Amino acid sequence: MEIRNYDELDSLQIDTLREIGSIGTGNSATSLSALLNKEVRITMPEVRIMGYNEAIEWIGGAEEITAGVLVRMSGEINGIMLSVQQLDFANLVLESVLNKTVEDYSQLRNIENSALVEVGNIMISTFINALSGLAGISIELSVPAFTVDMQGAILAVPMAEYGGQSDYIMTIGGNFVCDDKVVSCRLLLSPDVRSLNFLLRKLGVNGG
Amino acid sequence: MARGSGMLVTYALGSCIGICLYDAQIKLGALVHIMLPLNMEAGRKSPLKYADTGIRETLKQMEGKGARRSRITAKIAGGAKMFEVSGGSLGNIGQRNIESVRMVLKREGIQILKEDVGGSVARTLLFDVSNGLGCIRSYGKPETII
Repeated sequence: MEIRNYDELDSLQIDTLREIGSIGTGNSATSLSALLNKEVRITMPEVRIMGYNEAIEWIGGAEEITAGVLVRMSGEINGIMLSVQQLDFANLVLESVLNKTVEDYSQLRNIENSALVEVGNIMISTFINALSGLAGISIELSVPAFTVDMQGAILAVPMAEYGGQSDYIMTIGGNFVCDDKVVSCRLLLSPDVRSLNFLLRKLGVNGG
Repeated sequence: MARGSGMLVTYALGSCIGICLYDAQIKLGALVHIMLPLNMEAGRKSPLKYADTGIRETLKQMEGKGARRSRITAKIAGGAKMFEVSGGSLGNIGQRNIESVRMVLKREGIQILKEDVGGSVARTLLFDVSNGLGCIRSYGKPETII
C-alpha cells in the first residue's frame, strides 16, 4: 500500500529502512575509519519518525550550535541527506586530518570547514552508494552545502522542504563509536514521501 | 499569546518566520511561528504551520480576546537561507515565507513596524508582551531589538 505520510509505515517497512540505515551507516563508518586511520564501529541504527519538537529534543536542543553538511538527492530518489557534526566529532576529524582541535565552532577557519565538509560529503556519498546499489536505483547528489548554526534551524530544513506533505520527519541513521566513545555525528536521510514509496517498492516491501 | 506581561519565545528560526502580533492599547501579544508560505493541506490539520492560515487564525483569536484589528501591529523575523545549495528550489523557502507573510499581513490590514528577515543565520526570537519589543539572538552576532 502506498503511504501518504511517514507515520503510516508498517513494521516490515520500518525494519527494511532500518536495514538500509545499517548498511549505509556501516559503509560510512568504513570510509570514516579509512580517513581517520582508526577503528570505527556503529551503534544500532535507528529509524525514527518524529514531530518537529520531538526531533529537536532527540538531537539535543534547538539553540545548540552545530555544524551541518547537507546534500540534496535527485534522480530516482528526491530528498535531503544531512550530516550533523557536533563538536566532539568535529574535533575527532580535525585532530586526525589537520592535527589540531578547536574549543568551539567560532575558531573554525576555511581549512577546517573544508575538512568537515569533505568528511561529511564522503560519509553521505558512501551511504547513498550503498543504498543505490542495494535497491538498484540511480541517485544523483548535489555539491555539499555547509553551515554552522543553531541545530534547530538546520533540522528544520528537511522539515520545511517536506512539511507540505507531512508533519513528521523521518530519519534513518546511527551513531559512530571511535576509541570506545560514541561520537555525535548523525547521518539523517530524509526522502520525500513519493521517493520513499518508490524505494520501498524497489525493495519489495510495498505490497501494492 | 499573552496579555499585560510575559515573554513569548520561539527558538531557532531558520527559514521559518516568527510573527509578533501586538495590540499595544490592551497589551495583548501573540507570537506565531510559521514554517511554510501557503496552506494547501486538504484536511487543514495544522493551520498554524502556514503563513496564510496561521496569521488569520491568530488574528481571529486575538480579536476574540478583545483586540481590535485597527490597533494590531506586526514585527517579523526569520526567513533565512540556511544552506547554499546550487540549483533547485531548496533554500528558497525562507524567501517565499517572507513574501507570503508580508502579503498576508497587508491583505489583513496589519502594518509591519519592523522586520529582521533573510540572510543566512538562524534566529531565536523573544517577544516581550509588556512593551511590544522583540529581541533577536543569533549565533556569532550581538542581540538586536526590533
